[in-house]
Amino acid sequence: MSKIKFTYYPGCSSQGAGIHLDRSLHAISGKLDFEFETIKDWNCCGASVGHVKGGALPSMALSGRNLALARQQGTADVVTPCAACYLNTHFVNERIKNDAKARGRVNEALDAGGLSYQGDLKVRHVCEVLVNDVGIDAIKDQVTNPLSGLKVAGYVGCQTVRPFAQTAPGGEFTTYDQPKFLDQFAEACGAEPVPYDKARTACCGGSVSIYSPEKTLHLMRLILQEAKDAKADVISTPCPLCQQNVEMYQAAINKEFGDSFNIPVVFYSQLMAVAFGMDGKKDAALDCNMIKPDKLIDKVK
Amino acid sequence: MTQSSIPTPARKYDLNFARWVYQNVEGGDRLPLCMQCGMCSGSCPIGAEMDNGPRKLFMMIRAGMKEEVLSSSTIWNCTQCYNCVVRCPRKVPVTYILQGLATVAAREGYAPAKATAKFSRAFWRSVRYFGRTDERMVTVLYYFSYGIKEGIKRALANLPIAQRMVKAGRMGIGLPHRAKGAGDLRAILAKADEIEARERAGQ
Repeated sequence: MSKIKFTYYPGCSSQGAGIHLDRSLHAISGKLDFEFETIKDWNCCGASVGHVKGGALPSMALSGRNLALARQQGTADVVTPCAACYLNTHFVNERIKNDAKARGRVNEALDAGGLSYQGDLKVRHVCEVLVNDVGIDAIKDQVTNPLSGLKVAGYVGCQTVRPFAQTAPGGEFTTYDQPKFLDQFAEACGAEPVPYDKARTACCGGSVSIYSPEKTLHLMRLILQEAKDAKADVISTPCPLCQQNVEMYQAAINKEFGDSFNIPVVFYSQLMAVAFGMDGKKDAALDCNMIKPDKLIDKVK
Repeated sequence: MTQSSIPTPARKYDLNFARWVYQNVEGGDRLPLCMQCGMCSGSCPIGAEMDNGPRKLFMMIRAGMKEEVLSSSTIWNCTQCYNCVVRCPRKVPVTYILQGLATVAAREGYAPAKATAKFSRAFWRSVRYFGRTDERMVTVLYYFSYGIKEGIKRALANLPIAQRMVKAGRMGIGLPHRAKGAGDLRAILAKADEIEARERAGQ
């Protein structure tokens, strides 16, 4: 069977704090019917803070350059695994597509780098592609090492659910409340999703947690507390910043609130790599988790 | 304060500032539709860290309270979770408006010391010169934006996390990550700055 081709935008976290998302995604793409061709020489999307210093149009130009480069490589849908990359790239793509004035302004800027882009690509999130193009059954078919008995809290985070909804900002975000895809992924892997409804799409504080964690520790505490109450062995998430924040601030939360959290936070793709019987280090990248997911590591074949 | 093209209201209930926001801030064109229901402020996970919250801030815009609006902590502490955006019954893109106001406030010199503005400056420097965000560079630039003494203090406080990140293979110790076409990107960003400056001058 020929694989579905996507143009892949990994985002900056793929070279740093979220390296295990990128590595495990590439590993599972070997088993599933999709393949990635990375945007050659991609740049940062501006994340959720760039606009403050950079301004609105320069921020749009960042994604504009990525889209122009992606278009030079073909017409395949652009996919990204990162929540912020998805939001920014998708937003700019919609603006270029639907707003002639914005298209003109972005292209005037892109022209200074010898590029242009007219808005004829589609920008999607990897999770949405896994649900709609690859399919839960196809994921199930690859499971040779079911994660029996592993209790998983599906923490979606806030920005990732946008791909399952309509497009423009302020538009029809129809399925943002209780997205089920992480539970479906966990179930397909033979694991046991635990009830996790209050914190499922709660916010980890995003970039505010990086520069002013004292303001957001209580947000991450709620996310951890519900997982602990549900006796989850691991928290599963699609978002690189959620993974990083919820994992690395547990010590600070314990100190601040007198808690004793020590809950591993993994990517859904790491669960899949283990369930597909792949290598725990090379493919599932479990060595990259700072809080070791012992129960998941025990299951590695 | 820099030479500003933003109108300063001469009397109470002067709509000039509100109109300027409607026309110049991303998403501002939908702001007149706000009916002050408070869904945004009620949905906000970080409302306790905001002096006004979005609902009140939007009324302050209508009341012409330019100084108070552009110095408000509400625009700086938004975590961009988009809860308010998806819940607003009038489809006011609240998060985008707060982002737009933050950009304006930073440009006009309202909040040089706010953590968000400092962090954004560090972040943008990495993006502009290297084309990519290098987490190590952004955090170091950010910590030392508070001065050498405070920078060392913050860096030491976060050293255990950095060491664990290095050990986990998620923080390299080599040169910064960069896009090969960072030079082209700089030219594109400079042009985008020029376009925005030209548009502001033409107002």
